[in-house]
Amino acid sequence: MKRIAARVLPHIILCAFSLLILMPLLWILRVSFTDRLTAYKIPPEIGTVGLMNYVEIFARYPFTGWFLNSLIIALGATAIALPLATALAYAFARFNTGGTFLRLGVLASQMLPPIILVLPLFGMFLFAGLMQSHVGLIIAHLTISLPFLSWMLVSFFEGDVARLEEAARVDGATRWQAFRYIAVPVAAPGILAAGLLGFILSWNEFLFALVLSGPSSQTLPVGLAALETHAGVEIAPLAAATVVSLVPVFALLPFLRKHLIKGLSLGALK
Amino acid sequence: MASISLSNVHKFYPNGYAAVRDVSLDIKDGEFMILLGPSGCGKSTTLRMIAGLETISKGDLHIGGARMNDIDPADRDVAIVFQNYALYPHMTVIDNLSFGLRLRGVGRAVIDQRVANIADMLGIGELLSRKPAQLSGGQRQRVALGRALVREPKAFLLDEPLSNLDAKLRSAMRTELIKLHRTLGTTIVHVTHDQVEAMTMGERICIMKDGVIVQVGAPMEVYRNPVNTFVAGFLASPPMNLLRSRLSAQSLSLGDTVLALPPALGQAFAAHAEREVIAGMRPEDFHLKADAAASTAPVKVHAVTTEVLGPEVILVATVSGEQGAEIHIRCPRDFRAKPGEIVIFHYDVSQLQLFDPETTYALKRPVQI
Ligand SMILES: Nc1ncnc2c1ncn2[C@@H]1O[C@H](COP(=O)(O)OP(=O)(O)OP(=O)(O)O)[C@@H](O)[C@H]1O
Ligand SMILES: [Mg+2]
Repeated sequence: MKRIAARVLPHIILCAFSLLILMPLLWILRVSFTDRLTAYKIPPEIGTVGLMNYVEIFARYPFTGWFLNSLIIALGATAIALPLATALAYAFARFNTGGTFLRLGVLASQMLPPIILVLPLFGMFLFAGLMQSHVGLIIAHLTISLPFLSWMLVSFFEGDVARLEEAARVDGATRWQAFRYIAVPVAAPGILAAGLLGFILSWNEFLFALVLSGPSSQTLPVGLAALETHAGVEIAPLAAATVVSLVPVFALLPFLRKHLIKGLSLGALK
Repeated sequence: MASISLSNVHKFYPNGYAAVRDVSLDIKDGEFMILLGPSGCGKSTTLRMIAGLETISKGDLHIGGARMNDIDPADRDVAIVFQNYALYPHMTVIDNLSFGLRLRGVGRAVIDQRVANIADMLGIGELLSRKPAQLSGGQRQRVALGRALVREPKAFLLDEPLSNLDAKLRSAMRTELIKLHRTLGTTIVHVTHDQVEAMTMGERICIMKDGVIVQVGAPMEVYRNPVNTFVAGFLASPPMNLLRSRLSAQSLSLGDTVLALPPALGQAFAAHAEREVIAGMRPEDFHLKADAAASTAPVKVHAVTTEVLGPEVILVATVSGEQGAEIHIRCPRDFRAKPGEIVIFHYDVSQLQLFDPETTYALKRPVQI
């Protein structure tokens, strides 16, 4: 009896939790296929089902542009952050570069409310002519993803990987070769997971994008927010746009899970 | 092939801990040297300093006559086998084996030839395309050994490579390593805390404790003449019995037993007469029958328990009149004794070792090899 309870209870709690998170998503999914009037009906009903909202976001709003901007900026920021974060994490793990001070410094930059960074960035970008540009937003996103990714990656370079590198060093590898041929491939699942997370982080970022982007560089989250204020809340197209903007994230999740677990279980090797 | 020489080597870890202190050791070209000692005594640290994985805080390291303190591990041309093997998990066995050679730019044909030879020698030919995760412990151990062998280095450094194997495989690999050393003749430094490995494999044993070398010598030499009670109590299983006793001019008092010393022995220890000593008595020097030729003297013991091992029986007993310390006695395989039973043994006094209770060092080493 007790054993059954011990097995059932976690499932009940987890199901309740999942439902809590899933409900809004399901609601949005439903709304994206209906019209504005049926959207707010309680209890929820389906009403006229159709793809009109999906057509509308592409026809009436610059949705394609937002999507491409988001893609360019998220890919750009991740492509720059990932190698830099890998190198930084390796330096932390292997040489304790900068000591506890630098490590905590990097972490502290993550703890600041992002709003604190917005104003200085705004000033600098204005001066450097980076306002409203893709490059500017990529740089802004680096201030978030670089510290986050390097912290995440440190643990992948600690522990067993160091032993393997030692074996390689005695085998005749230079420091660089040990890094390139042993540390990076062994930590690859972790690096991949970090890259995916970095992409998602950038993809969803709102505050920097709101302040620092312009019409030509507006990202999805900013565009979606614009829908809310247009003429009241365009709830149905908004829902459709939200669903489309979630597609890349959901497409990445299975990989993220697989590689994160693979990365975290690295310690199990003997 | 090369000699390895450590002169007054120290290792202070960044936290200030002195893991190795003033170690001087000359390992001859082609020698099979054992580093033996309890956990934490600095064996791995010493080995890692030789390989270049730890910096040498003080002192000098020479390999093949050249000073190596500041030479990169990649350029020392030694190979190390770790306790947990440290095989590259993302590479197949064949890539693991050839990694070092590929880094050195050795030609494809030569690599293939050498890998094939080693794989053949170690019986891992079938496993070449597998990843380490798909190997058993014994197979990984062979691959790790192969990875070291294939490079034909100047010296092999083995850090407890057999400790993860089961007893049967371990004894097989022990023989394998001895044979390997005989064919290749390469210098080997083998770290272990298994004293069977130490006794059977090495040409010399270096016994360490708390970061310092306690004794270096051929296995039998160390076995017969331990320099102090630590070595006496560490080597062999069961180890030498160490009993507090009193030395007189021509005899030794052990509880209520008085062992008459042969004249030669009495003379040798004359300088220490009339004082407390620690008597070192090997378990196999107690016999059930008196032997006039071997100068035996009777010792009365009270049996505590017996351990029947098969080929022999270990009797755990206390010496009559000396209830505190238990001693171990090696008995023939059909020997039995009930708890509390009194048994008379005949101890071969010529094998007696005496230690100073204060310094723990041997008073004099009367036994020749
Ligand atoms: N990086 C380090 N920093 C500080 N102390 C260390 C470090 N590495 C090892 N030590 C200490 O140095 C001593 C010797 O360690 P070492 O690994 O050489 O022991 P060992 O003889 O190989 O033991 P074992 O048989 O358990 O492997 C130990 O007391 C250990 O705690
Ligand atoms: Mg060790």
